[in-house]
Amino acid sequence: MTEETKFAFSIHQEYDVYHAQQRALDFARDTGFRRAEIYRLATVVTELCNNLVFHTQRGGLFTMRLQHRSGRWGIELTVEDDGPGILDLDLAMSDGFSTVHGLGSGLPGSRRLMDEFHIESKPGVGTKVIAWLRQ
Amino acid sequence: MGSPSETDHLHMVAFLDRLTLGLQHAAAPVIEDAAFAGLRGFMAEIAGARARDGFYPSATAAFVMSFKTAFIPILSAEYSGSPERCQSEIKTLGDIVDQLAFLTFDAYATAREQVITRQNQAMLVLSTPTLRIWNQVVMMPLVGIIDTRRAQDIMEQLLMAISRDEAKVAILDVTAVPIIDTRVALHLTKVVAAARLLGAEVIVTGFSPEAAQTLVKLDIDLSRIRTRGTLRAGLAEALRFLGLRVGAIT
Repeated sequence: MTEETKFAFSIHQEYDVYHAQQRALDFARDTGFRRAEIYRLATVVTELCNNLVFHTQRGGLFTMRLQHRSGRWGIELTVEDDGPGILDLDLAMSDGFSTVHGLGSGLPGSRRLMDEFHIESKPGVGTKVIAWLRQ
Repeated sequence: MGSPSETDHLHMVAFLDRLTLGLQHAAAPVIEDAAFAGLRGFMAEIAGARARDGFYPSATAAFVMSFKTAFIPILSAEYSGSPERCQSEIKTLGDIVDQLAFLTFDAYATAREQVITRQNQAMLVLSTPTLRIWNQVVMMPLVGIIDTRRAQDIMEQLLMAISRDEAKVAILDVTAVPIIDTRVALHLTKVVAAARLLGAEVIVTGFSPEAAQTLVKLDIDLSRIRTRGTLRAGLAEALRFLGLRVGAIT
């Protein structure tokens, strides 16, 4: 395995999300993840990419790659946009809060599904999520 | 390239007719001029037809550009006495052909968009069949992704089937939905709520063990939805709900 393998997708519309979802399923399967982890990863990809579609005007960028962290192989997801940003990050990371009449589980749920999860956001500048799931 | 086919020949003749007509009446040699309306329409039609036949836009553009190579020797012979006139005529006609070539790309793109839209519509129709599997029981197998548009379609089709068959139970099978994320879950809860207003109970079947684990981690509350692991168990539940059961013939 190598850290060279990297996929980048620009996400604007709903079908971009399902393309990314499909590629994430394939990638995790090909790199030997177990069924439950494959499903988890693809779910997080779907949640984060849906945010690009439903919370920004211009969409954003999703990348995925194999990455070695503290002695383990895993998949790192990066989702980045130059959208409106998140005003209250603590609120956005709490369960049941949504600005678009959603369930409000996308971000907090994604954090629980991944082994490492980092989010930073600046109102008016954009949002970046970096998350990692070990194999 | 081989010798032009009969259709190509007919196209060329029709093209030349319209081109000459346009050039005779146009105020300026620009393709937007009203005199070229016939030519523009004809090119759009040809490019569209070729797109549907599977030609690349470059092939259609090459067809248009080939007129350039054809008319240069003719114009040179015609205006052999006046090289300046010859140059300007070649430029005028060349510009028209160039603009036409661009037009074919636009027409190609439009025709392809239409094909894609139609395919999408066709898939949408195919993707949400509702089946009456018992008296007062309808079933809808969901296959593939559930985006906003399909979610609306599922809602409409299911409610229509419930009211048409006076169903008391509707089974939604999600075995073939690749990922149940929070949006899909939200769509499901909405369908359940709407069906209840029509007096039908929805049973969702086919969550995989991986989906169940993930949904719990996401902390999505599906406790208000009746779920069963398999379609078989869902059907048994539907019959039980109606006070029926399947037994052996004795």
